[in-house]
Amino acid sequence: MTTDTIFEPKIIGFLCNWCSYAGADKAGTAQSLYPPNVNIIKVMCSGRIDPQFVLKSFEQGADGVIILACHPGDCHYKEGNYRAVQRHRMLLKVLEPFGIGKERCAFDFVSAGEGDKFVKLITEMVETVRVLGPLKIPV
Amino acid sequence: MKTGVYFCKCGTNISDKIDSDRVRENLLRHFPGMHFKTVDFMCSEEGKEAFEKDLVENGLERVVISACSPRDHETTFMRVLSRAGLNPYLMQMVNVREQIAWVTRDAGKATEKAGRSIRSAVSRVQLHDPLQKKEIDICPDVLVIGAGPAGLKTALSIAGSGRKVVLVEKSPVIGGMPVRYEELFPNMECGPCMLEPLMAEILHGEYAENIELLTMAEVIEVVGSYGNFAAKIIQRPRFADTHTCIGCAECIEPCPVSAKNPFNGDLNERKAISFPFAGALPNTPFIDEKLCINLQGGACKKCQEACPVEGTIRFDDSEKVYERTIGAIIVATGSDLYDCKKLPNLGYGKLDNIYTSKEFERIMASNGPTDGQIRVAAGTAPSSIAIVHCVGSLDVNHKEYCSGICCQYAFKFNHMIEKKLPGTRIWHFYKELVIPGKDEFSLYHHARSNPHATFVRYNDIRQLSIAGGKKGNIIEYQDISGKSGSVNVDMIVLCPAVIPAEESGKLGEVLETAHDQSGFFEELHGRLDSVQSKIKGIYLAGTCQSPMDIQKAMNQGMAAAGYILSGLVVGRKLEIQPVNAEVDSERCSGCRVCVSVCPYTAISFDAEKEKALVNEVLCQGCGTCVAACPSAAIRGNHFTNEEILAEIAEVLR
Repeated sequence: MTTDTIFEPKIIGFLCNWCSYAGADKAGTAQSLYPPNVNIIKVMCSGRIDPQFVLKSFEQGADGVIILACHPGDCHYKEGNYRAVQRHRMLLKVLEPFGIGKERCAFDFVSAGEGDKFVKLITEMVETVRVLGPLKIPV
Repeated sequence: MKTGVYFCKCGTNISDKIDSDRVRENLLRHFPGMHFKTVDFMCSEEGKEAFEKDLVENGLERVVISACSPRDHETTFMRVLSRAGLNPYLMQMVNVREQIAWVTRDAGKATEKAGRSIRSAVSRVQLHDPLQKKEIDICPDVLVIGAGPAGLKTALSIAGSGRKVVLVEKSPVIGGMPVRYEELFPNMECGPCMLEPLMAEILHGEYAENIELLTMAEVIEVVGSYGNFAAKIIQRPRFADTHTCIGCAECIEPCPVSAKNPFNGDLNERKAISFPFAGALPNTPFIDEKLCINLQGGACKKCQEACPVEGTIRFDDSEKVYERTIGAIIVATGSDLYDCKKLPNLGYGKLDNIYTSKEFERIMASNGPTDGQIRVAAGTAPSSIAIVHCVGSLDVNHKEYCSGICCQYAFKFNHMIEKKLPGTRIWHFYKELVIPGKDEFSLYHHARSNPHATFVRYNDIRQLSIAGGKKGNIIEYQDISGKSGSVNVDMIVLCPAVIPAEESGKLGEVLETAHDQSGFFEELHGRLDSVQSKIKGIYLAGTCQSPMDIQKAMNQGMAAAGYILSGLVVGRKLEIQPVNAEVDSERCSGCRVCVSVCPYTAISFDAEKEKALVNEVLCQGCGTCVAACPSAAIRGNHFTNEEILAEIAEVLR
């Protein structure tokens, strides 16, 4: 395989403003390199991530979605991240019948200090989806 | 809609990786005729001036700024928009520095990603609404819960600005823990003497009329939010009028009842009417309802008969309920000590002559149960005393944290024992020594140079066991090197872990404030905001937040006062951020899912109209309700479904 044919997955990252987005900024200030395949959509709280945002992302061509939230107990809005956990579990059940496996819809916790963890998660996500190949949703 | 895109090069920070010309080409392909400008340093004074001028000259209606993190400069640029006469919410920042330029290896890919992100912002910003900040009237008055050092300092700081303070104290006296202590580390100051000026200020000082002190009182209900809380306070009857009482104590002697005195660790007796200790403030006795013969239905009125001021002793005194409106609340409820009975190997509660540090403070106090004489139960002076540090602290089986003050008062004990009973053999059993601060070392050095003091470091408190002997108690120990030994001592003082006050759980429920894993009130941020709770307008001061000494407790009280004085300003309205949730009552089906998910109880249900209703002061704009609403009847301002979906669609195009 030549470099020209390497599949570059399109991934949407939903990040909460307080911990995860700050964690991504932390990776930035540390100038830690990671693949450019993830585009970040910022929301104030991971609790704002409406399952339809994830479904729409897949429908409109995303090969993967990663949701990042504050660690349990650290939510700026007390418990929005717990709602995000619940909705993610529900999403996995909804996505499965469409052949969208759980690897394509990841969820994790990233604190404002965890720039390294952010880089690791993004890098792993890109590699995982790259191996899975482009998402083909059955019509 | 005329939209402008400003591309900040940030010197070379951004332009080294991202090619602005290619970004511009990409953008114009998708959005022909777009106003695009490259700037060297957007956040510099020149940058901001040029930006403002450009906005006006080009009559722009929407703005995208491709630069650094919005966490750095979003508000900076929002202010420029306002100056240019544009609504500040008609702007979107793209974080190409931290999240693209600095983290992407390949310049071509970075440029491509920046192009996508900027296009995505353009399509989003065109849907932005001009949002307006709202203003509400506030009440500048403050409720302070707890009248220990932190609470007293806070109350004075606020009252001094001319505001009203309601100071609620659970016990009959003010001053908190340190008024029990005759001498305080590090300078051996007398606790009551140190606090006396503060307490006098509260009761009769220049701003005393601004302070409503309610002793024997508890906050039982709080509703509302920052700027406008309503608190319900219940006050137990004292049966003595603090306003008319002259503090002569004539009433006490004639009382025929005798019972244990909890203030002195049950080490002496008190009457049914009493002062907890000589010099207690307010200088008015109180009657213990359960002990008083009259209040239990008997015929005794001896205290009333002895009182020289008619009407001061009032058997008909009853529970009172107060309702107060305040703008902010400070919790300064203090702490307690860990129950030493949870370490049964130490014999506390079973063997004689084993005291907690709090009890020992009272034993050494001249107004305490033994008039300051250190005596064993048999009445003689001890010739040896063991001080056990770290009782339950720094211990995964008990309390994992270090209480931070015990070493210092243990060395203070060393000093006081030496002074009162020179030549007494002192044993320090410790796990770790923690003595921070610039003055605190002196008592430590003093203890180390005491020829009669021996230091034994243990590894695990389970390797200490205390048993009764023929003469005194025997401590068998294994030190950190594994060496075993045993000592016979006449008296033992335990230094228990500092724990949250017993009532703090209940108060936390009333205030809806969180507790941390150890049960202390949880701060907004451990380093940046240890004085704010997670509920806006509720502040934390002193050991209710974490173990600390008097200095830190007072500092926290003053910090809390600072937040309030600058946040709730007399004559100024409170701004409400417009990034919050709004219910479209036409679409609301009344299912109440939003009510159940809101972390701030900001959504209520109008039972008559069968619709949900958002309280915009309480709403913090997290959007959890917006994502939960099955009928899309709640709009999350500045993060609407339409805006976010447009962002997603464009980035994937």
